Amino acid sequence: MHMHPLHVLVTSPIKIDIWSDIACPWCYIGKRHLEAGLEALGADAPDVEIEYHSFELSPDTPLDFEGSTVEYLADRKGMPVERVEQMLEHVTGVAANAGLEYHFEKVAHTKTLKAHELLHFAKANGKQLELKERLLKAYFVEGGRVNRIDELVGFAEEVGLDGAAAREALESGRYADGVQADIAQAGAYGINGVPFFVIDGKYGISGAQPAEVFSQAISQVAGERAA
Amino acid sequence: MSEPDLTAESVADAAASPFTMVMGDPAAMVCEGDVCFVPGTEPAE
Repeated sequence: MHMHPLHVLVTSPIKIDIWSDIACPWCYIGKRHLEAGLEALGADAPDVEIEYHSFELSPDTPLDFEGSTVEYLADRKGMPVERVEQMLEHVTGVAANAGLEYHFEKVAHTKTLKAHELLHFAKANGKQLELKERLLKAYFVEGGRVNRIDELVGFAEEVGLDGAAAREALESGRYADGVQADIAQAGAYGINGVPFFVIDGKYGISGAQPAEVFSQAISQVAGERAA
Repeated sequence: MSEPDLTAESVADAAASPFTMVMGDPAAMVCEGDVCFVPGTEPAE
């Protein structure tokens, strides 16, 4: 049957572009809220296509900071230890409500650029969403090192990517330009903080918004398309 | 929760944003640099 181009346009998935980092507690929580928002739409949920874009929150993070999150923030930001602990306790509680078991005492602070390169490799091989979830879990739940090529290759293999190809991509830095292009695009859009969601190229959603905000915005876009 | 406000201009960077910002919950947290906070407040939490 011949399909009219307009039909293809109307039924194409709603694109959800997300700028986020791995070392970003609210990005993982926001991811869960988005997923819950989509789940809440049930049978009415339109098809969506999710794409993650790289954002480096703290470019001057050392590759291997040997210390706790409390020490990192207290030393780096000059915040009182007690205040940092209260802050982390709050985030841990919100994460738990989203079904995430954060362990800040295990978190290994590091630069995330190599992990972003691997996310681009995964995108090129159809596994970006799986790897994003794996890296966030590694960072916030398991205390994994997300800057070391050996460990990154292991995460890649766990989500079904070819380990040798992943290693070659990381060692060659083939996706480094793609990572920087994402970061530059965020700057051009005026995105200073993450997570930042763009629905259908039109609507911007900043922060780890409640699930309802995502479901309502996606429903609105679907309704506009159908109108 | 009421319908999301799809017409309101957003937080600090609305002028630079090509998007129509969904205001949603103004207390939703974002991260910038090493810290995460509610937009418009002191970056401390």
